[in-house]
Amino acid sequence: MSDALLSVRDLSVGYDGAPVVRGVSIEVDAGEVVALLGANGAGKTTMLSAISGLLPIIAGSITLLGAPVDDRAPYKNARRGVAHVSEDRSLFSDLTVRENLRLGLSGNKSDRADGFESAVAHFPELERLMGRQAGLLSGGEQQMLAVARALASAPRLLLVDEMSLGLAPIIVERLLPIVRTVADELGTGVLLVEQHIHLALGISDRAYLLSHGELVLEGDADELAQRRDLLEASYLGEQAP
Amino acid sequence: MSYLTFLVIGLGGGAVIAALGLGVVVTYRASRVVNFAHAAMGMYIAFAYYELRATGDMVLPILGLPARVPLLDRPTEVTAFALCMLLAAACGAVIYLLIFRPLRGAPALARVVASLGLFVYLIAIVGLRFGGQGAAALVLDGPLPNDLVVWGALKVPADRYWLTLIVLVLAGLLSLGYRFTRLGLATRAVAGNERGAILLGISPNVVGVVNWIVATMLAGGTLILAGPIVRLDPATTSLLIVPAVAAALPGRFNSIWVTVLTGFAIGMAQSEILFLQSQWSWLPDIGLQKGVALVVVLFALVLRGDVLPDRASAAGTRLPRASNARNVPFVAIGLLVVGIAATLFVSSDWRSGIIVTSIATIVALSVVVITGYVGQISLATFAIAGVAAFSMVRFADDIGLPFPLAPAAGILVAVAIGQVIALPALRVRGLNLAIATLAMAVAIEELLFRWSWFTGGFEGATTESPSFLGIDLGVSAIGDAFPRRTFVIMTLVAAALSLIVVSNLRRSSTGRRWLAVRSNERAAAAAGISVTWVKLSAFALSSALAGLAGVLIAYHRTIVSASSFGVFESLIAVAITYLAGIASPLGAVLAGVLASEGLLTVALDSISDSASSYQFAVSGILLIVAAIKFPEGIVGIRSAGGTRS
Repeated sequence: MSDALLSVRDLSVGYDGAPVVRGVSIEVDAGEVVALLGANGAGKTTMLSAISGLLPIIAGSITLLGAPVDDRAPYKNARRGVAHVSEDRSLFSDLTVRENLRLGLSGNKSDRADGFESAVAHFPELERLMGRQAGLLSGGEQQMLAVARALASAPRLLLVDEMSLGLAPIIVERLLPIVRTVADELGTGVLLVEQHIHLALGISDRAYLLSHGELVLEGDADELAQRRDLLEASYLGEQAP
Repeated sequence: MSYLTFLVIGLGGGAVIAALGLGVVVTYRASRVVNFAHAAMGMYIAFAYYELRATGDMVLPILGLPARVPLLDRPTEVTAFALCMLLAAACGAVIYLLIFRPLRGAPALARVVASLGLFVYLIAIVGLRFGGQGAAALVLDGPLPNDLVVWGALKVPADRYWLTLIVLVLAGLLSLGYRFTRLGLATRAVAGNERGAILLGISPNVVGVVNWIVATMLAGGTLILAGPIVRLDPATTSLLIVPAVAAALPGRFNSIWVTVLTGFAIGMAQSEILFLQSQWSWLPDIGLQKGVALVVVLFALVLRGDVLPDRASAAGTRLPRASNARNVPFVAIGLLVVGIAATLFVSSDWRSGIIVTSIATIVALSVVVITGYVGQISLATFAIAGVAAFSMVRFADDIGLPFPLAPAAGILVAVAIGQVIALPALRVRGLNLAIATLAMAVAIEELLFRWSWFTGGFEGATTESPSFLGIDLGVSAIGDAFPRRTFVIMTLVAAALSLIVVSNLRRSSTGRRWLAVRSNERAAAAAGISVTWVKLSAFALSSALAGLAGVLIAYHRTIVSASSFGVFESLIAVAITYLAGIASPLGAVLAGVLASEGLLTVALDSISDSASSYQFAVSGILLIVAAIKFPEGIVGIRSAGGTRS
């Protein structure tokens, strides 16, 4: 599948030349939600950072929207339609909600107006908070803003890192399905890093499982959801049977 | 009514401080650099303008390029102003891209050192290009109308009002721009969370370049317009950075309007104090108005604590590894033996070099202790040294204390002043402390060192030649016998003892407490270390070393004047020590060798004698290059041993 939105081949990436992720290959197509699972320290966030161009590649290749990643400054990936909701949410806490959303917009004036409206349409709660500083929002509201800001740019590829971190389950159950909707309605490809395996598998088409920096399992989300034993074994670092 | 007149006259100086403060805020927002060279950059542009008006030549600030490019026969004010704004834009962009962009991830101290290097370079290049007093004489009339505006009893030149209006309008435009334009929003985003901004497609390079251009044009434009109001000369104009930083501090280097209002308030207060000094005869005739900035800095720091948020505090204050200094005592004794042997044979020039290098080593050790080991940036080293020198002269002259007692008493006074300077360090750290100590150093220079009873006024204070048990330890001699060998040996012994004391303390439990506080104050406190005691004791030792250097400088010069102990000297001392290796006693020795007039200078002079006029400009460039290439210092590279990529 050479026309995939995102195609990662034999990727090794890490810090100061020491690889954390070794020889991993994954793909994401348009309109598809793909879960990237694994225990703490498996290398999930490192993968996303490499895909966004924030970390240099040690070996292998990343092809994003038809062009290799490593020869571009990271901000250029964003301009080509990659939105990354990072673990720390990367909000601008001194700026208002409206200003945060405006920074996510791209394209001409009418594109920007559309982007703003559709972002808010998914999260009507944000409407009454527009003038408030992002730093003063609750954790759930901040996560909504982070996702809304990513959606405002009408991204072709959406990378979501640990959306559930530090949030009440009820909020997670409210946020995750929006990702599914966006993939279905806009044809956005989504790569979802998540600790809540069953919630993630519930909305995904396919899933990859990382363990200690290596890919140990991949397959259809529904099938994997049935094989609880296999997932648990992989989480505990044992070899899959 | 005259009270009011002087307040209104102060609008002029206030507008300059406000505009420079705005520039400091703009560059800090975009790149997290507190640019100590900001006023010096504006100063260069203003000099270029007045020279262009007078001669039609554009003077370029880059060594190696032609100094002057003849442009126009008699440029009008508007043409000249426009050309100089282009020059300012180019300077801003080049300085950001060449110096501060590569230093983005470097320790905060490396960025401070680079801006100090730029500061040194600009002052030197103004001296080279325009001559010592050159352009100051050019400022006959500025572009603004300056006829008197009379409102009742209030008579104030019009340029004060114009400048105020212009600065307020510019501040308004900036504030709207940051709020409503995409680039303004992007700047605020980069200031808040650079990684997040990149993930949204914002290029920090573009944001940085544009803001540096805006800031440089603002500084240059203001100083051109204010040429007749502020005295344009390298020493005073470049140090306008102190009130400018003071103005930016209460608004946390972020608020445009707080900065502007504080800037105006400082300027007006300074003007009023000048008037009061002429009215109230009991006010001493010293630079009281320069104390206003210090008061603002201290208030801001005391009321708000750490006002500069250190975004990456872990990486931002990263310092080179502190070597265990085990071999330093042996090296010190070895150097002492070699030094004494050399003293007996070498010529007078080299003996002077040994003296300067020994004293500069002690100064650098003072920086190693406080900054390298305890992590507190102090920019007041020479102010403390000066206090010791002048106190010693007073103790000897007025009380008649003999040799070892007078300098010891002088050093004790220096330690006491050092404790006062240490007080802000109990509450703030990093760049905030650098700003506080810089303001203190300026205040000591303007208040204490201008007090003629203390410093002997214009002629300076004459030191009594030291002698002990009948041995003459003084420096003075006739002809080739100068400097006397016993004095050279005395400075060598002082430097060697200082090295041994510092390296032994580094290995003691005291040294371990220093390093604990340096790496994490909270963790140190949790481990039962009194952070307050550690800071105060380290400041005491650092001040004692600075004081020792001060009294030796006094004996070396025989006549001490305030110019030996200026803020400029403190800045250079910190910069050179940082580059030589701020966390190592041997780095201090290297700093001593590199110091101006030290052994390196003597060696260079013996090869060629034309280099000395370019020495400052070249050392400014070297400081910048070295800060970019070796952000952890020269001795730091070796001891890091490849653990960092």
